[in-house]
Amino acid sequence: MKGNIELIKNGKRLDGRLAGDLRDIKIKTNVVKNAQGSAYIEWGNNKIIAAVHGPSEALPRHTANPNKAVVKCRYMMAPFSSSEEHGRSGMNRRAIEISKVTGEVFENVILRDQFPGTEINLYIEVLQSDGGTRAAGITCAAVALAASGIPMRDLPYSVSAGKVGDTVILDLNKIEDNYSDADMPVAILPRNNEIVLLQMDGSLTTKQYSDAMELIIESGKKISAIQRTALLEPYVASENKNKG
Amino acid sequence: MQMITKEYLTGRLSKGLRDDNRTPFSYRTISIRTNEIPNAEGSAIVELGNTKVLAGIKLDVSEPMRDTPEDGNITTSAELLPMADENYDIGPPTPIGVEFARVVDRGIRAAGILDTSKLFIEEGKVWSVFIDLYVLNNDGNIFDAGTLAAMAALKTCRMPKYENGLVIRETQERLTTNNIVTSCTFVKVPGAKIIDPTSNEEELADARITIANDFDVIRAMQKGMSGAFTTKEVNELIETTFDKSKELVNILKKNTGD
Amino acid sequence: MRKIVIPGELIDEKPLRILDSIVENNKTYSTIMGLYDDEKKSLIPLEGLWYPNRDDQVIGIIEESKLNTETVILNAPYKGLIISKYSEGKMASGDFIEASVKELDKTGTVILTRPRTLRGGKIIKIKPSKINRLLGKNNTMIRQISEGTGTRIIPGLNGMIWLNDGNIDLAIDAINTVCKEAHTSGLTERIGNMLKSTKSTTIITEEKVEEEMI
Repeated sequence: MKGNIELIKNGKRLDGRLAGDLRDIKIKTNVVKNAQGSAYIEWGNNKIIAAVHGPSEALPRHTANPNKAVVKCRYMMAPFSSSEEHGRSGMNRRAIEISKVTGEVFENVILRDQFPGTEINLYIEVLQSDGGTRAAGITCAAVALAASGIPMRDLPYSVSAGKVGDTVILDLNKIEDNYSDADMPVAILPRNNEIVLLQMDGSLTTKQYSDAMELIIESGKKISAIQRTALLEPYVASENKNKG
Repeated sequence: MQMITKEYLTGRLSKGLRDDNRTPFSYRTISIRTNEIPNAEGSAIVELGNTKVLAGIKLDVSEPMRDTPEDGNITTSAELLPMADENYDIGPPTPIGVEFARVVDRGIRAAGILDTSKLFIEEGKVWSVFIDLYVLNNDGNIFDAGTLAAMAALKTCRMPKYENGLVIRETQERLTTNNIVTSCTFVKVPGAKIIDPTSNEEELADARITIANDFDVIRAMQKGMSGAFTTKEVNELIETTFDKSKELVNILKKNTGD
Repeated sequence: MRKIVIPGELIDEKPLRILDSIVENNKTYSTIMGLYDDEKKSLIPLEGLWYPNRDDQVIGIIEESKLNTETVILNAPYKGLIISKYSEGKMASGDFIEASVKELDKTGTVILTRPRTLRGGKIIKIKPSKINRLLGKNNTMIRQISEGTGTRIIPGLNGMIWLNDGNIDLAIDAINTVCKEAHTSGLTERIGNMLKSTKSTTIITEEKVEEEMI
């Protein structure tokens, strides 16, 4: 184990979770009134807003694809989002990379050929971070897109798994991420378990990799259910109101 | 989302009412929630109708400015998030974003909200207070919402400690604030001057003025857009600001446990 | 049985040709948030965008007026274009218009024809997927709102609606209620009651509940 922090004690993690447990996840739709679709997620201590604008005419024109929509994604962390020092405003190399791989997840899943020549803007703003923000951001953005009415072939979710010592764990928080021996964020299309995002660093044996992937896919059922509940919530609420 | 024409708005105003049934000098509903981002030392979300601004505050140890070696620093920045308005673009700060941050900053400095000499730690080390304004949704008048958010976040901000070269952020101490500043923003639309404009009203306006004050002292002013005000008009708006700011101060106090 | 489905959700074990769905391995999946009726095999979008079709009536705002053309904001993936030979007079930027769709051309522009300027009033934007419910069978719903409030209402299939005269605020409240409750039954009656109660029963308090999280 890196460093000298004991991340797992008697089978329990620092925040009391077992190896395969997710943090609490809450999602709410339509939080940004000016957006075509939006969602807010609280994933453990992560607080993230995702919002969609478009499709609209791709500008500048040379960025347009005459056959399908282009997805322009920006993931950014607020300078006050970390529990440590003030972060730099604007995009750093990490944010640029996350924006790119996140955009590619949604290029895969959005039925882009329905909107040739247009752009879809996807904004993910991390207001508070505690490890796993890209996964939480993708899970939230998927809900924002569904709420916007932009057609998708499936609703992706994302979560990371990693390793502490020889134990494979799910959904690393910040401190676990800092001291873990591996971290692997993954995004999945649940219908056929297609992998649309996969990053990893650290060290994993093939057995540990499969165990990690198994944890991810098992937890995905829960995450998908939370996404679904959030999307249905406004409809269920108005139905109940009229019944009551 | 709604769009209105000049004729429509002037028709409404001639009956003494605005598009959303407000009178010319009344604010939209204001809500303030503090400590929404516990990782930040201070934070507040202000909703002014559909306008939503988040202020986050961080304190770090840094070097003092060369010309004020015994004073801490205050830095105010703004992000006009592209999700908040179709007219906000990705990229470096735009002139409106910079103007917004600077107007909020001037009010806070001029009203002496923070005593920068109290932010001195030791020779060569002072506290820097970073105020970041995040516009999450724009429906006009980000100026007053931004000042309220910054003020609410400052009033509820934790004060970290500096011990043995380490910053300790988990403290019960509060950052000391010495005053309360608020701002009132008005625009001039055909035939009327109105406070707290919505985006639609800003679009139809040709002049804007922001007046920041505490009690009967003017602390900062900024005229924006290409139109003009007469001196008499500005005098009247200053009086209105003194009057309306009492409401804003009350809402601030109520929501910051003061 | 009607049920609400989300993108990626299975709607039928058999391959069906339904708008806003895809077939994979001989099964049918929704691509949108929608209301699926498995007896009628129909999928009604709850959230969705407007696709321009010939003769669609739309409401728009003139964005830019050039020598022979005007570009129009339409609340759609594509901009509208009026070629001046189709229009009676010059229009200015910011003007509200009503027009019908001639075609979606290859460059991704919605060519509009028979434009008419709408003087004064205001335009509200709703989700295009709610327009059909707002119209109601044989336009009963919209007529009810118009008559109950004395407001002239011209809806565009693109989700923009122009209103003028009468109790516009009440009309907008009624329209917003229709949008929020489009998927529920007994709506026409509820809107009728809402319009009868003389007080403008403004904004349902849901706004407050909604903002708990951020």
